[in-house]
Amino acid sequence: MNKIKIALGIAWAFVCLLIIIILFPGLTGLSRAMAALPFMKINPRYTGGEEAFIKPADACTLVVRKPVFDGLWKERKTGFVQIDWRGDIPENISDTIDYDQDGAPDFTVRINTKTDNSELIPVSTSVKDIDVSTPTSYGWALRVNLKKHY
Amino acid sequence: MDNTLTAKPAGKSLGKALLYTLPMFLITFVFITGGRLSFTDPAEVLAIFLVFLGMNVLYFLMHYTGETDKFRAVLFIIFAVSLSFTLIKNIVDMRSSMSFSQADIVECRIPFCHLVIPMMIIPAAFTKSIIFPGTILGNFANISSMIVLWLAATIVLGRGFCSWGCFYGGWDDGFSRLRKKPVIRKISDTWKWMPFAVLFMVALTAALTLVPTYCDWICPFKAVTEFEQVTNVESAVKAGVFISLFGGLVVVLPAMTRKRTQCSFLCPLGAINTVSNKVTPFIIKIDKTACSECLKCVAACPLFALTPEGVKAGTVSVFCSKCGKCVDVCENKAIHFGIKGIPPGTMKNFTRNLFLFVSFLFIAVFSAGSIVFTVKSILDFVI
Repeated sequence: MNKIKIALGIAWAFVCLLIIIILFPGLTGLSRAMAALPFMKINPRYTGGEEAFIKPADACTLVVRKPVFDGLWKERKTGFVQIDWRGDIPENISDTIDYDQDGAPDFTVRINTKTDNSELIPVSTSVKDIDVSTPTSYGWALRVNLKKHY
Repeated sequence: MDNTLTAKPAGKSLGKALLYTLPMFLITFVFITGGRLSFTDPAEVLAIFLVFLGMNVLYFLMHYTGETDKFRAVLFIIFAVSLSFTLIKNIVDMRSSMSFSQADIVECRIPFCHLVIPMMIIPAAFTKSIIFPGTILGNFANISSMIVLWLAATIVLGRGFCSWGCFYGGWDDGFSRLRKKPVIRKISDTWKWMPFAVLFMVALTAALTLVPTYCDWICPFKAVTEFEQVTNVESAVKAGVFISLFGGLVVVLPAMTRKRTQCSFLCPLGAINTVSNKVTPFIIKIDKTACSECLKCVAACPLFALTPEGVKAGTVSVFCSKCGKCVDVCENKAIHFGIKGIPPGTMKNFTRNLFLFVSFLFIAVFSAGSIVFTVKSILDFVI
């Protein structure tokens, strides 16, 4: 029994040695395999959610994303919708957004991209306030807080 | 293999030490250089050569002197400092600041570190997604690579990751060595259970809020990496918390107690690594027949893994990070690196050599990139 335990212990130690030896040369492949696992994607709370629709706006493109209400196991009562302006953004942005595409505008936003001043005019009762309004590498991103009505 | 019950201490044989170093020399040469050296940038070649040589000298000295901890600590501390330097330099080059902005979060440009792992497990299971604004693949410090590296290291080394792989641990390890004698001697070792409470709290709050709460509110190492831009009261409070925790748990308390207090009392990943200590084959063993119960090992242990009762019973707790400090202070060589299944006091040299090879190879290759980058930056500055 003692000899079996010793043999198993040494065998496991040598397996560990092999793991470390193949770890670094195989890191790229192992990382790709890890990235392919179903849970290996960034939560929409961070990515801003999937693109819902795109609207051309002068020199830039307006991307409206799907509202994000993600919770641990069910949707939350509060969330946000992210709007991206991509391309050459003007000094003054003024757009009216119908994020749920029900035909009625949900809010109007005015942004001065030079002074970082952002103003939100809610139309829908689901729209609360501005969470984030920031310049990005692709233009400008805006996150507007939302609440659900049941 | 050395099968004697009273094995003579490792080391002091130049030939043997050189022989043990040769495989490490060859493997680290291949891994650090990628098997090729481009001479287009002399500073880079010199940096690679210096790092490669320095690491192998440390490994040789471990075998030649028979001591482990002080040579491990040199590399471990250099790793911590150089990783912070590399990260800060990259971030400052990218953003002109150590702080990250809302845009960095929106564009998922935050470097991922292993301390996020305890918070992402429950949300990953329920939402099938990662609650961190980083990148899955590609770029610097991507999520996939960090998980693979940590997973392999924690299976192989258990909590040994905290002394042979964690690029933050070197900070409090370094500060814990500033004084020769501790100012505060009596600390209840009950505190060592605190990381489990922190783990429970951050895992729960992260699951409920889908925010990596430890990174957001607690992590002391934001002081030496990156932090949220202070723009309002909330971000100012967060900055106050991480600066206080870094100052208290990473600098002041380690210096006063000679213990790694951040690792012992706060780190939630350390708690997970403690559990994985049950998986690793490598453990510290006490040969009760050789032990004089002087308890020097208990005093030396920086992570409260050894207790007087444990030493008398010949057991080392799962909190052990296999730093080797206790092994080095034991005059009777009763405490030693071992492998599960092998009785204490037997095959000491073989088990030590195998453990050192595995753990040193991990830290050497893992740390090489950032240390080479730091050395090259210093050379560029000097030359």
